[in-house]
Amino acid sequence: MPLRNRIAYAFLAPYLLIFATFWLWPIINSFLISFQNTRVNPWRFSLTVNWGRLVADPAFYNALYNTLIILVIQVPVMIALATVMAVLLNSPLLKARPLYRFAFFAPVVVGEVAYAAVFRLMFSIDFGIINKLIGSVGLPPVSWFDNGTAAMALVIIAVTWRWAGYNAIIILAGLQSIPGDVYEAATLDRVGKVQQFFHITLPLLKPIILFCVVLSVIGTMQLFTEPFLITNRGGPGGATETLGLLLYRQGFTSLNFGYASAIAYTIAALAVAISLLNLFIGREAK
Amino acid sequence: MAGLTLTNVIKRFGAYEVVHGANLEIADGEFVVFVGPSGCGKSTLLRMIAGLEDVSEGTIEIGGIAVNDVEPSERRIAMVFQSYALYPHMTVRRNLSFGLQMNGNPKEDTERRVAHAANILQINELMDRRPGQLSGGQRQRFAIGRAIVREPQVFLFDEPLSNLDAELRVQMRVEISRLHKQLGTTMIYVTHDQTEAMTLADKIVVLRAGRIEQVGAPLELYDNPANQFVAGFVGSPKMNFLKARIEGKGASGVTVSLRADPRVKLTLPVSSAVAAGSQVMLGVRPEHFVNAGAGDTDLTVRIDVAEHLGHTSYVYATISDEPLIIERPESRHGGDSDSLTIGLSAARCFLFDAEGSRLR
Ligand SMILES: Nc1ncnc2c1ncn2[C@@H]1O[C@H](COP(=O)(O)OP(=O)(O)O)[C@@H](O)[C@H]1O
Ligand SMILES: [Mg+2]
Repeated sequence: MPLRNRIAYAFLAPYLLIFATFWLWPIINSFLISFQNTRVNPWRFSLTVNWGRLVADPAFYNALYNTLIILVIQVPVMIALATVMAVLLNSPLLKARPLYRFAFFAPVVVGEVAYAAVFRLMFSIDFGIINKLIGSVGLPPVSWFDNGTAAMALVIIAVTWRWAGYNAIIILAGLQSIPGDVYEAATLDRVGKVQQFFHITLPLLKPIILFCVVLSVIGTMQLFTEPFLITNRGGPGGATETLGLLLYRQGFTSLNFGYASAIAYTIAALAVAISLLNLFIGREAK
Repeated sequence: MAGLTLTNVIKRFGAYEVVHGANLEIADGEFVVFVGPSGCGKSTLLRMIAGLEDVSEGTIEIGGIAVNDVEPSERRIAMVFQSYALYPHMTVRRNLSFGLQMNGNPKEDTERRVAHAANILQINELMDRRPGQLSGGQRQRFAIGRAIVREPQVFLFDEPLSNLDAELRVQMRVEISRLHKQLGTTMIYVTHDQTEAMTLADKIVVLRAGRIEQVGAPLELYDNPANQFVAGFVGSPKMNFLKARIEGKGASGVTVSLRADPRVKLTLPVSSAVAAGSQVMLGVRPEHFVNAGAGDTDLTVRIDVAEHLGHTSYVYATISDEPLIIERPESRHGGDSDSLTIGLSAARCFLFDAEGSRLR
């Protein structure tokens, strides 16, 4: 190896060492741990104890079901909302644009615990503003934390609130990269605003939207904060337990690291699979 | 097809006025070129005609109907943009048909129009590509095709050739000219390139800083510029301007002497009132110098550089630090001397006052 390359590697060595120790090794090690029976002391190798349990565990299927339900509802709704927000943000009619941009982005910056506390207050059954609003149109109050379906809705609403603005800012960047004269040409071509949106804006935004979808899929597969902090650790009775929560419960409550590792690898594999599917569908339609 | 009338058209962006009352008549079927330096308001004027910018004051009529409050989509105009503005995600065939399709035009008619445009522009083979897979010249051809398909009353072009290389520019210029002959539709063409203006236009509109300086046929502007700006803008290489002083006025016109060489005196057939001793500019085009002794007076210049192009030569010279360009069609080599004596003919010289107005 030429000297200058060796010097370069010498400078990179501290980083590579830390990377290997705290990133690469845990990834490999957790894969190995998923083949260990970690409920005995000392741990014992077993091909099937964790993976076998996984395919038969009703708690796993419940968590998988909950995660996928949230994914299937939340991601499309949020991306659609983010696209609409981005288009509104991009409108030349909008005054005080930086203010809105900041407001939409703020939820990402707010501390998770603070945001969860505020959501719990807002959705509180007796004092929450949401139930007050629902009551003001004559509907009965919703017990957001005791009813499984309502709790799922609450998680979806909360996640959407937290990440829609973030995605809107990304999509806005995509919108701003579409040259304005394309729209002027379309206007002179007698193509209306709505037609312009569906035939020009959306197709040109497709790569960006796809990127947002993939990011959101990965995020939702790992969903933890909202069901943990807002709906009482996956409550009521496991109705909002996600894969992320199950992993946490197995790993850090039951200290069953082998099973937790198997769940972690399942989450990662599903996220990759769903993202690839998205990319594939996106490419196909082109 | 339609003519246009602009009456006292003013455009302001906020408090900043960029077009200061434009008046213009464009006849049906005419090829009009707006020409002027960058930032003089050509695009703004064109975009107001298209309806892409609101008119602050005044009226624009297309085909005798005021269109100030008519939506751009209803003005029956088509525009070709400098950046082509093709829809990047569609094949060029769909680029051409998209507008008609969206408006429910019958399919056969759309296909007929697209085929017709493709024939005119000879772009049949490339129809199924996307804009990104085409060269600049090809893209511009499709952008023009998209305009043809619209069958508009008026074509608008905003510097359509600026992004092309020199050779392609000449080729496309010829094609646009041919297109105008073939279609006979009114065309308004914006450029900062006086050569394009001279070669394409039936009528040139010279703009400067938001004002129309002169309107006329290309040769009219060349032979009879209204002021120093137009004189300098039309013609290539640029007209030379030499500082001069009024010596006096006689029966045969005004006599001036060059500041660079007061011995050089010239009497021009000018009848405007002028004050002796006042400073003026003597304008003479590079191609209008004559051989020494053949004109009304001679002057001697110092040669800096000579360019020999084969059919002609340009001599870049100075006379007491005032630069000038002289075209010498008959000379293919500069000779050894670094000075040159040439003749000036009063009939081919122009006089401009200190404000740049023409003294006639
Ligand atoms: N949207 C706008 N807002 C403010 N000023 C503008 C806008 N468009 C053009 N201008 C100004 O108007 C003047 C004329 O611009 P333009 O018509 O584009 O010039 P040209 O096409 O002759 O180069 C310029 O000074 C430009 O800065
Ligand atoms: Mg312009």
